[in-house]
Amino acid sequence: MSDGLSSLKEEDVQRLARLIESLESSTFDYLQLQVGDLKVTIGKGALPASAPSFAATAPASAAPSAPAAAAPSAPALAAPAAPTFVAPPSPLGNPSVGAAPATPAPSLAPPEFARRPTKASDDAGTIEIKSQIMGMFYSQPEPGSPPFVSIGTEVKEDTTVCLIEVMKTFNAMTAGVKGVITEICVKNAQLVEYGQVLFRIRPS
Amino acid sequence: MTIRRVLIANRGEIAVRIIRACQMLGIETVLVTSEADRDAMPAQLADRAVCIGPARSTDSYLNYRAIVTAAKATGCDAVHPGYGFLSEKPELPDACSSEGLIFVGPTGDHMRKMGNKIAARKLAREAGVPTLAGSEKVSSATDAAEVAERIGYPVMMKAAAGGGGRGMKVVHDPRKVSDAFAAASAEAESAFGDPTLYLERFIANARHIEVQVLGDQFGNVIHIGERDCSLQRRHQKVVEEAPAPGITSALRQEICQAAVGLAHNIGYENAGTCEFIFDEDTRNFYFLEMNTRIQVEHPVSETITGIDLVQEQFRIAAGERLRFKQSDIGFRGHAIECRINAEIPEQGFRPNAGRIQTWVAPAGPGIRLDTHCHPGYIVPVFYDSMLAKLIVYGSTRGEAIERMRRALELFAITGIGTTIPFLHFMMGRAEFISGQVSTHLIDDVMPDFLSEI
Repeated sequence: MSDGLSSLKEEDVQRLARLIESLESSTFDYLQLQVGDLKVTIGKGALPASAPSFAATAPASAAPSAPAAAAPSAPALAAPAAPTFVAPPSPLGNPSVGAAPATPAPSLAPPEFARRPTKASDDAGTIEIKSQIMGMFYSQPEPGSPPFVSIGTEVKEDTTVCLIEVMKTFNAMTAGVKGVITEICVKNAQLVEYGQVLFRIRPS
Repeated sequence: MTIRRVLIANRGEIAVRIIRACQMLGIETVLVTSEADRDAMPAQLADRAVCIGPARSTDSYLNYRAIVTAAKATGCDAVHPGYGFLSEKPELPDACSSEGLIFVGPTGDHMRKMGNKIAARKLAREAGVPTLAGSEKVSSATDAAEVAERIGYPVMMKAAAGGGGRGMKVVHDPRKVSDAFAAASAEAESAFGDPTLYLERFIANARHIEVQVLGDQFGNVIHIGERDCSLQRRHQKVVEEAPAPGITSALRQEICQAAVGLAHNIGYENAGTCEFIFDEDTRNFYFLEMNTRIQVEHPVSETITGIDLVQEQFRIAAGERLRFKQSDIGFRGHAIECRINAEIPEQGFRPNAGRIQTWVAPAGPGIRLDTHCHPGYIVPVFYDSMLAKLIVYGSTRGEAIERMRRALELFAITGIGTTIPFLHFMMGRAEFISGQVSTHLIDDVMPDFLSEI
């Protein structure tokens, strides 16, 4: 890897940058390039399950570039280093099988918030990924682009699964667990509460 | 009413109180809750509840960004902050106004003006309202000693950013100035993030009298009378009443006018309270501070005037003119409020949390109970210890005291310790019955209470 990178010339980097630009404006999810020993994968969101996961590039490009288009009025927030950026508090905390929160009887949920599963879930063996903050849920990096994950997507602990927006600050949330998405419990651009179940994942 | 749906950024009894006002006005309610309050009474009474974070208030009730996001996402057009939490933080009205939300309260600028107590003293003097002999900011112990020498001992050191008794120290002796300065400024720093102190002459025989004001967006300001909140423990109010006992109508007039003048001078909007210290020996009053929000003890003013202050807050915020002239406000009878806290009086008022086993509340003519508690409710450890406010009305002060005594006797709470026994004791004290209230009365009678139980 380091050998490969050090062999890149300035003009190679320029070319890569151009590739990233054209990918962003395209409808493609990712692009793989192999030149001799060097393999480059560029993509938005997680790699498809079939993609060989050797490249360190793929998921990293998604989160930082994401908010730019989703929040046209606050382009500065695209930089993850901006002071308002809230790092996802430990990759989705400790995902718990079933619900075992600290509060005695959490049966909240006014009608709109009933956590109706999008499909019958095989509760056994899946892990609930809950929102660690309240905010607007975005399933995709920007309007019109494909979602970070879909049912069947294989995720790793650090795979970005969604963005949660609080007053134009976009918080990238990671899966926190390795496995396959079996259910997406909320809709795009919906308000999600603190502790609301967003995804179910079958761990692998 | 241009406000159709409001987000309530609070918990406990005041959240319930605001929901009730909204029900009368036909305003829909969205309540934000922490994880600990998801199933509490306010969440059940509100049209919708949104859990915005974990129990710790810094991650939930103090997160104004989450609150504004929730308000926008649920289609609210207004935000009511209640008291405590964000109610006096200008960040919330500022964020509301930039997001096109109505803030049910004064503007961020009003909060900034009154939030710094040194600046507020200056505004009071400009409005011709008396303030205690004192100082601008004192920047060192030497500085403090010089000022203390000038105004004369004893002096009170106070936090410029302060309130609620934190960062406050009484100094009787020049040799103690240095220690007190260090302690008060450290306390102010940790409580408010600002160690700035100022000094005021300390009044030994003092009463706390405050005036409720209402101002609209057209420059009209009226007062809703005064309240006496002298019964305090560690600068926390315990019993409040209206009207203040034993003051002449001329003095009442003067103190209420002072509050109106100050509020008017700064173009104050919405409900606010000017607090004064009243020197029992010289019969003079001095401005202490202005609270730019609805206060815990607002029901005693409502009880003797028939005005629903929270409803008026909404009307003012919606841009309506005050519905009353000063001459429309009539005062009738006497009201007393006791704060029922989950504290054990005989153990130094130690707070205790846990499940309420029994909760049988008093009822009957002239009794009002503002609460979020019920049998089986688990009092969380994360927030303040107030369980309920018991408010009684009497045609005379004597009748109100008698009614409060009876009501406290009928109030049965088991499972957790409460301040009811102490409040009942207080209602029977000769000093209180005769109206000889002062800010040190509770400390004075405490030994008797402890020996009686």
